[in-house]
Amino acid sequence: MTTPLAPPSHGLDIVDTGDGRMIISMGPQHPSTHGVLQVITELEGETVVRADPEIGYLHTGIEKSAENLFWTQASTVIERMDYLSPLSNACCFIMGVERLLGITNDIPVRAQQARVMLCELHRIASHCVWLGTGGIDLGAISGFFYAFDLRERILDLTELSGGARMHPNYLRIGGLRDDLPAGFLGKVDELIAMYYPRMRELRALLQKNPILQDRMIDVGIINADDAIAWGLTGPSLRATGVPYDVRRAFPYSGYEQYEFDVVTRTEGDAYARFMVRLDEMDQSMRIIEQVRKQLEAPGPVMIADTKFAPPPKETIALSMEALIHHFKIVSESFRVPPGDVYQAIEGPRGELGYYIVSNGDNRPWRVRTRPPSMYNLQVLKKIAVGEYIADMVVMIGSLDPVFGEVDR
Amino acid sequence: MPSSQTPPAGGTALDPTAVRPDIDDARILRVVPGEVRATLERLKSEGFALLLDIGGADYPGREPRFDVVYHLIRLASGARTVADVGTPERVRVLCGVTEAEPLVPTVSDLWPAADWAEREVYDLFGIRFSGHPDLRRIQMPVEWEGHPLRKDYPLRGPAREKSPRPAFALKSNVAAGTPASGKTAAALQRQIAAARGQTPKGEPK
Repeated sequence: MTTPLAPPSHGLDIVDTGDGRMIISMGPQHPSTHGVLQVITELEGETVVRADPEIGYLHTGIEKSAENLFWTQASTVIERMDYLSPLSNACCFIMGVERLLGITNDIPVRAQQARVMLCELHRIASHCVWLGTGGIDLGAISGFFYAFDLRERILDLTELSGGARMHPNYLRIGGLRDDLPAGFLGKVDELIAMYYPRMRELRALLQKNPILQDRMIDVGIINADDAIAWGLTGPSLRATGVPYDVRRAFPYSGYEQYEFDVVTRTEGDAYARFMVRLDEMDQSMRIIEQVRKQLEAPGPVMIADTKFAPPPKETIALSMEALIHHFKIVSESFRVPPGDVYQAIEGPRGELGYYIVSNGDNRPWRVRTRPPSMYNLQVLKKIAVGEYIADMVVMIGSLDPVFGEVDR
Repeated sequence: MPSSQTPPAGGTALDPTAVRPDIDDARILRVVPGEVRATLERLKSEGFALLLDIGGADYPGREPRFDVVYHLIRLASGARTVADVGTPERVRVLCGVTEAEPLVPTVSDLWPAADWAEREVYDLFGIRFSGHPDLRRIQMPVEWEGHPLRKDYPLRGPAREKSPRPAFALKSNVAAGTPASGKTAAALQRQIAAARGQTPKGEPK
């Protein structure tokens, strides 16, 4: 390990080190860093000799906040970590709490299917942001509009189901807040119908674009051994050839019944990561098509156990018991038996995990996130060395960090 | 349908990690700081090549007070098919750390992934990692005091002194009689009326 570069307070100046090298700071307001990332780089000519990413500019103390909220409230702040796919965060946290409660096997099938569908929709939406903004980093403006149009339609579906476009807080411990609304499946059908033509357009615009290929092929290469040592997961790991996908390795929420391929590439460069994510979107759409058929069958979406499920709204005006019960759940939440659990799901960026500790209270004792973005971003210290400074934006884009999650 | 489980009396478990090891699919190992490096080295040589995460937890009242939690997974870099990966084994190593000597040997030389994770545990819990090449704060500003995820760290800082009201006239100031600027309501109304070219109400023409 080398000695650290200048701390961030000094990083805003361009420093001539005297031996022909130069230390410059990129960010934290750089438009191509996808958030508030500062990379302090030591350059020799145009070549990066050392890169030291500085994070923490978006630290909001979400883990501390979650410790001071009820179990039922904590998922609202947890959704705000990875703000590009909020439902993945909520889904993972809620499944961890359900394991602590011992009710994992009691979750209604329809709720599990809806969770799978929403998580996969959000995976596509998140990859759309990566695809659009990643293209902009390389000068491909048009792809952005095609990708964000697709994302808008997924956010419309999120709004339809949960009432909000970004952080619907739609998933609940024990199931879903409400059943999927009438017309939801019709909108999903519309999305499925427009998805494949849109992806053909996007692929025509970006995948075979010679400028993009020139910028991405053989840039930011990492091999499988290093990828594992640096803690890479998700598309970044699969681009090195290791087909580790939590949906296949530790199936949850009924993923074992869906057909999809774990996409891998072996090159380990920025283009391999690009292709893995593109192909993964198609696999997500395959899962969505399968879940959409299953969701035809109606059924309950919330656990029958009234300890976790608040009474239906219409009974509150009619029954004193329902009113008291509703009041107790809202004002006190419920207690979770003591214990600790690690729950992981395959988020859009890799293994998203929650290490949740309960001491038996109605609030979590500790909520530790395993943030895939943070570990993926850390590898920039390795892959940037020897590359051109101009390719830094390519590498940051190909790692797809979300700073709400990196900094939490 | 009544619940099958009886809730505990509430918030009483001093060490929740010792209560129900069976609910997790991970193998759980408890070590002291003196053994943690040897244990992790051994696990790495057994094939637990992917260090997923290092986190911290604070249990005031328990001895040792802190836990440093390592999550590992057995994953071979040579795996090329989903069947090769299979269902990898998970291991969780819990290392108890005392408040008097919050010091754990680093593993950042074994796994480069541990670099930022250990910095974060240091930043948020104040647990130091001996041998770490660059142990400084990562999330909080460098000049920050205290370690926010400790349980005795307050959720909110000291109340800020009330900032003085701006000196310009507010409607509420006018209604309240004497605004912060020291001008009375009547004086302000005169000023406003003069600006509009009117005669103030209630004053003789």
